[in-house]
Amino acid sequence: MKTDRLLPYFLILPTIIYLLIFVFAPLSKAVGLAFLTDEGRFTLGYFERMFSDGRFLEALKYTFLLTITIVPLQLITALLIALLINTRFKGSQLFLYICALPLGIADLAAGLILLSIFTQHGHLNSILYHLGFIEKPFYFISYQHMGFVFLSIVLAEHWRATAIVLVILVAGLQMISKDLLEAADVLGAKPWQKLWHVILPLLKPSLQSALIIRTIFALQMFAVVLALGGEIIPVLAGEAYFWYYIYRNNHISAAYALLLMVISILMTWIYLRFLRTRSEMRA
Amino acid sequence: MNGQKVVIALLVCTVVASGSEKITFMSTQLVPIAEAEWVRSELLPRFTKETGIDVVFVGAGYGEFADRLVAEYKAGKGTIALAGGLHGDYTPLVRTLTDLSKEFADLQALGDRTFIPAFVELGRLNKIQAYIPWTQGTYLMVVNKMALDYLPEGVDIRALTYDDLLAWAKNIYEATGDKKLGIPAGPRSLLHRFVHGYLYPSFTGYQVIKFDSPEAIKMWRFVKELWQYVNPAVATWDAMDTPLLSGEVWIAWDHGARLKQAIIERPDDFIAIPAPAGPRGRGIITVLAGLAIPKASPNPEAATRLIEFLTRPQTQVIILKGVGFFPVVKEAIGTAPEGPLKVLADGVMAQASSKDLITAFIPSGLGTRSGEFSKIYRDTFVEIVVKRRPIREVLSRQGRLLKRLFQETGAPYPPPDESR
Repeated sequence: MKTDRLLPYFLILPTIIYLLIFVFAPLSKAVGLAFLTDEGRFTLGYFERMFSDGRFLEALKYTFLLTITIVPLQLITALLIALLINTRFKGSQLFLYICALPLGIADLAAGLILLSIFTQHGHLNSILYHLGFIEKPFYFISYQHMGFVFLSIVLAEHWRATAIVLVILVAGLQMISKDLLEAADVLGAKPWQKLWHVILPLLKPSLQSALIIRTIFALQMFAVVLALGGEIIPVLAGEAYFWYYIYRNNHISAAYALLLMVISILMTWIYLRFLRTRSEMRA
Repeated sequence: MNGQKVVIALLVCTVVASGSEKITFMSTQLVPIAEAEWVRSELLPRFTKETGIDVVFVGAGYGEFADRLVAEYKAGKGTIALAGGLHGDYTPLVRTLTDLSKEFADLQALGDRTFIPAFVELGRLNKIQAYIPWTQGTYLMVVNKMALDYLPEGVDIRALTYDDLLAWAKNIYEATGDKKLGIPAGPRSLLHRFVHGYLYPSFTGYQVIKFDSPEAIKMWRFVKELWQYVNPAVATWDAMDTPLLSGEVWIAWDHGARLKQAIIERPDDFIAIPAPAGPRGRGIITVLAGLAIPKASPNPEAATRLIEFLTRPQTQVIILKGVGFFPVVKEAIGTAPEGPLKVLADGVMAQASSKDLITAFIPSGLGTRSGEFSKIYRDTFVEIVVKRRPIREVLSRQGRLLKRLFQETGAPYPPPDESR
């Protein structure tokens, strides 16, 4: 009897040890770095320096702008593809695999691939040149065309990371009971009514996890921005990297990391709060 | 007595015969694959042949370099016998390094090499000889010969001023419609060096003291004008060799090592010239790399022998020929290498012998915060020139950060500021 009660705890013990060593230990170290000087005195100076930095507001702005542009776009694209795949047309499995392929591409690689398209000697410029639209290369990636740089980052992320949302949504769709859909058909629901009143509500848990994962990743987005935006478009994760590796102040770097964590937790909380499924609400 | 001798002889024999002594040399310099390969296949085998000591060369970024030195120091047990890094790499790590005063005196006693005294002095950190000078680098300009057709009349290319540079770039733009001037501004570029070590000393005479002075305001107005002729793609370029080779840029400023490849690939197409002079003189930076022995070094004796080898005048010339890093011992300077590097060496020598020189050093003593110094100048450039924010406002804000940085660290202002 006693072992039965203890067994679950034994079983999760390895996970807990793993989390303690590889998640909580570094995390507490990061908190320490952000609030303590090298001599171990408490200070808010690192946060003050971060907030007063000339690039901070811009980094914050672009992090949010990119997130609120990319995440909804990905969600819509992924939902459309998932619904398409769910019609089980011939070859839909193959189509799913092809759509999921970019999952295997590292974000830096994705950024570099897009860079090779948009750079002054890139594919886009050579196509435009050969078609006679331009006489000399157009500088898409430059200080003069912030819009293009922003767009190329959105494009890279959209191409690379939509697949993860897609996979989650396809799994979610497949879990929806056929009986419910057939019942809707019997009651004479039109396709969009079926989508709106049956599929989407039942898909909510999947949408929720997809949103949480994607938003957190979008907030942490860094390699793609680094490859395409250089320093033109700063983001919070990039600033954390720059402060550690280039400006060599790990305290301020930790402050950025903590800020990102707080924002991520906040966003997750918001999703959990506002996308609650019916059973949770009843409970 | 006799027995003792036999034992000693035996010991000597074992050491010589084993010959498999192996040390690790970790460096933040010569990290790019081509350079590291050269170190492994060309440079270090000479040392191994001479001493029987095998050297494992490990290239590392600053983060890894610092992390390993600190970790091995804390553990009291290390694998890195010798470290190679920039002056600025060592300043936050002095506590992990051995005092090399005695080793340095031994090297001097050999009598075959005279280190540039200012470099030795820079290697003294926290009252110890933290490193021994190894190589020096500098930043200069490389010009495509096609640009020479547009050089304003009466301008001496070896004594260029910033006004000449502006007129030159403008001529090219008006004639070809292209912005052919290149100053690297990518995230890993050395843009900040251009601002604090070239622009500021040339226009204000100082790196720090006159950061937000009226001269500085005039300077930034000039830079904004110059920026109109800078290639708009610079934000993605970390080094200027590629755009020089592709022809997107005709006149480029960068670190010698980051311009080298252009000259090596097409030595007949390019020339190297001194950086321009401003109203106060020709501000230039000298970058110093040094060799240090960590306190946790497993084999300081072998490391000392490697230092002796690497600072030997002959080796210094080999390094110049191999990778274009310039010597720090006087006996090696003047031995101009043959081939494409002569083009670069000519530029470096012409720059070093300019009469109106103001030599700036990358500041030391800022410790872990030396990166913030770079950031202030970089941000200032981006805010004023790229984002077009009001000069006065940006200068006073960034100037406050700069003052606070030196106040909080107690670091001396870097030359030329402190010497005046």
